[in-house]
Amino acid sequence: MSAHVADAEPVHWLKRFWESGPYEWNRALTKPQVLFSLLIVASAVPFVLQYVEDNSAWTGAEFWIRILTTCAMYACLAVALNLVVGYAGLLNLGFIAFFAIGSYAYALVASDQLHHHLPLWSALVTVVAVTLGFALLVGIPSLRLRGDYLAIVTLAFGLIIREITIDLDRPPVLAGHQFGPSDFNLTGGTAGIHMVDPLQLPPWVPLIHGAALQSRTYYWIFLGFLAISVFCLLRWRGARTGRAWVAIREDELAARAMGVNTFKYRLLAFCTSAVMAGIVGLIDAAYIHNAFPGSFDIQGTVLVFIMVVLGGLGSIPGSIVGATLVTILPFVLQQLVLYKYVVFSIVLIVLMIFRPQGLLGIVSIRPRAAMGGTVELLTAESAIEASELPAVTDRDAADLESASGAIVAPEPKP
Amino acid sequence: MSDGTPVLQIRGLTCHFGGLTAVDRFDVDVNQGEIVSLVGPNGAGKTTVFNLISGILKPIAGSVQLLGRELVRQPAHRITHHGIARTFQNIRVFPQLTVRENILLGTHHWTRSGMLGSVTFWPGTLRAERAAQAEVLTAIDLFRERLEARLDDPAFSLSYANRRRTEIARALAARPKLLLLDEPAAGMNPYERIEMAGLIRSMRDRGLTIFLIEHHMPLVMEISDRVVVMDHGAKIAEGLPKEVRSNPRVVEAYLGRRAASA
Repeated sequence: MSAHVADAEPVHWLKRFWESGPYEWNRALTKPQVLFSLLIVASAVPFVLQYVEDNSAWTGAEFWIRILTTCAMYACLAVALNLVVGYAGLLNLGFIAFFAIGSYAYALVASDQLHHHLPLWSALVTVVAVTLGFALLVGIPSLRLRGDYLAIVTLAFGLIIREITIDLDRPPVLAGHQFGPSDFNLTGGTAGIHMVDPLQLPPWVPLIHGAALQSRTYYWIFLGFLAISVFCLLRWRGARTGRAWVAIREDELAARAMGVNTFKYRLLAFCTSAVMAGIVGLIDAAYIHNAFPGSFDIQGTVLVFIMVVLGGLGSIPGSIVGATLVTILPFVLQQLVLYKYVVFSIVLIVLMIFRPQGLLGIVSIRPRAAMGGTVELLTAESAIEASELPAVTDRDAADLESASGAIVAPEPKP
Repeated sequence: MSDGTPVLQIRGLTCHFGGLTAVDRFDVDVNQGEIVSLVGPNGAGKTTVFNLISGILKPIAGSVQLLGRELVRQPAHRITHHGIARTFQNIRVFPQLTVRENILLGTHHWTRSGMLGSVTFWPGTLRAERAAQAEVLTAIDLFRERLEARLDDPAFSLSYANRRRTEIARALAARPKLLLLDEPAAGMNPYERIEMAGLIRSMRDRGLTIFLIEHHMPLVMEISDRVVVMDHGAKIAEGLPKEVRSNPRVVEAYLGRRAASA
């Protein structure tokens, strides 16, 4: 083939895609038709695994479907966290607490703990109301604070919720006064709440085959919730609400100057993300049949943060990719036994050094030089105050300015 | 141009930073259809006045009225809603948003589109979004050839001058009654500066009232209907460009006492 023919030859689309860079990858993967095809493929995976198991000596279908279910659950959480951290730029370090609150709220209304067995829809309403209540409780006082303070408040909130779930197996005692009867047991302490009802889906839902207990059913339920979340997030991102969120993340002061009620929109992002996490908690409690405090410690938040940051802040496909990698990699590295987490950590560190925006992200978590070294996640406000106050007192700059001649020249005296 | 009705009336505006009086009993009137420039040496308090008008800072005394409505003590986002849009000295576009999204942010305060509406494809919400999209094209009308091709590029990829234009388009999309421009020609080359002068005039010709801070004196002299000079937070002169230019207090503020008496 001669050189001038090679010139006209079309580049393979995969090569072109690879060379277009993360910004374009994210754009391409965020297209509704691409996401929808991925959803179809993901829903078909249990069938494929089952088919392979039925027609070969391999017997890992149930095991891998369970891993995929965990994966789908973390993808839901990562997408919800991406809303609050990636879109709105709020460092919510107590995120997993809302997952815990959703889990416990469902466990309390659908188990023998309080002898309530609410049907799914009323349980869902309860869970949404309870998580929303807690989100407002934390959000209203703390969202007026700047980024780093918000992180501290939410971190404390996460720790408090975990302690509460452990300690409320006995009546709370304050200053020597005992509240409630002595046999009071709300959360089951360190043992958690067991025998939580599985989800009772209406019979017209397809693919259930009577029993709602199979893990693949929960895989599809998580996948369905993920699809709904992603749909909502993409709709919001393309409309006024999402633009306001990203504007607040990018430059809070400019957003306010354009008429964005920053407190209201931060609260909206915070509460929406919390409610989404709460619903994931509900599904998870029904899936594993219990609500157990061990699943909700600070590591949970860190894990979801790793997924979101690895995938790329602000990128929906990124969150899903991040959740998939973080859940599946440890199983793939199984042979390395003890060393798997070492390998995993090294991979993460190397990635964060060479690609601080994450795989598909565009927002760097590194300090932004142009903003006077503030971390992007923290609001730019501190940088403005730092840059504007000296300008008022800076007489040296005024002298420089006059020396440079950019001033009124005195009119020549007649 | 000016029909004499005051759009902006500032009376006795005072603001302290610690022990420093940044703005000291500042008064100014900006009338409908006027271009008024606020000038003064660096650190005179010009940007602070803008921050006080737009609600980013709170004054300790004084009043700011827009068409007779008191703005002091209103939150910044309400002030935009009442009809003031501004640009910033150190350009503040949203770098990761596209130019189109940046300009759409200007329409934020007058569109009604909520979270439920956008996920349910509610007709009212879709209408509001369409109106906002149409406003983008109206807002870039004055610099269409510069921005139209870049509408879907992220703002961080723009040139300095195009970021300025985006920021001005964003302010125009807010449909303001009064536009505050903080050093619109800073960092621009002479050609871009001439273009900016033309742009400011044509915005005024479309009925906008403009209050601007500018350091580049030839530009100020050329486009302003009136010039207000500040030094040490206080107004030291006000008048037609050529009156202000020869005012001894102004010369003193810029060049020091010896130059003024020389």
